[in-house]
Amino acid sequence: MRPDATELGEARRRVEALVTQLPAGRPGEHAFNEPWEIRAFAMAVAAYNNGQYEWSEFQLSLIESIRQWEQRGKDPDAEPWSYYEHWLTALETVLAGSGLLSESLLDERTKAVLATPRDASHQHAHREPVAVDPPVR
Amino acid sequence: MSEHVRTQEEIAARVKALESILIEKGIMTTAAVDRLVEIYENEVGPQLGAKVVARAWTDPEFKQKLLADATRACAEFGIGGLQGEDMVVVENTADVHNVIVCTLCSCYPWPVLGLPPNWYKEPAYRSRIVREPRKVLSEDFGYNLPDSVEVRVWDSSSEMRYWVLPRRPEGSDGLSEAELADLVIRDSMIGVGPAASPAS
Repeated sequence: MRPDATELGEARRRVEALVTQLPAGRPGEHAFNEPWEIRAFAMAVAAYNNGQYEWSEFQLSLIESIRQWEQRGKDPDAEPWSYYEHWLTALETVLAGSGLLSESLLDERTKAVLATPRDASHQHAHREPVAVDPPVR
Repeated sequence: MSEHVRTQEEIAARVKALESILIEKGIMTTAAVDRLVEIYENEVGPQLGAKVVARAWTDPEFKQKLLADATRACAEFGIGGLQGEDMVVVENTADVHNVIVCTLCSCYPWPVLGLPPNWYKEPAYRSRIVREPRKVLSEDFGYNLPDSVEVRVWDSSSEMRYWVLPRRPEGSDGLSEAELADLVIRDSMIGVGPAASPAS
């Protein structure tokens, strides 16, 4: 058991008190499937904890994003469901609404991220063990 | 909003871009985000790798596939995507123990193991596990390997990400695949510990 398990539990309860106020989406929806989802989730809570917006603003923004998706749903080319994409859209919307974020800056920065190879400094494949500690005779 | 359906890679890049902007503007700190992520880190990942390991323990044919091409074998479970393109699974045996590291940054097989623990990203682990793996396993993780076992350390890069197929614990003969998966803890797939023993 980690020494800070209780503290983590407390922190988690605080976060979950926030999350339960949100539209639930579908069963099991709050589980994370991709690392970016957990990151986006954490950012929204961190910015809120830092006093950047009211949680109700974020909540309304999330509801609105989901509502728009449902309306587009009649369109056969509409995008597939992703709870955390709505989450991300909601976060962008509240931040833009408070003048904290401009979409053009975010678009530009996203392009820069995509243009940079992941772990740019570490792309070479290492096909042998980097170290071997032989048996002790 | 753009009309085309965004790929996971594009969305991940957008999230990363957003995070860097928010940190620059002082809207939040990396530490605060990391702290929140930590609360949930076990909810994405390790249980996926655990399922794969449990299958390999019970199905020899699948195990061969996994060792031959982990990326393809994991795709059978619907596991893959960002940072999991080229995965290599190294098998622990009675004679050889494997442990993974990223010596330069924090390359890690996210799709199967979730988010890396903080110690994995720290310079202390990254440098010491290469120089004195046996000692680090013993001192930092309380994992004492028999002297007769060779320790191999594998350096993950963005091209090739390693993870460990731990040995099946003794006394686990009658267990179902799902029960076995519960024994496969994250550290055993990094190689800094064994799989858990069945509750006696």
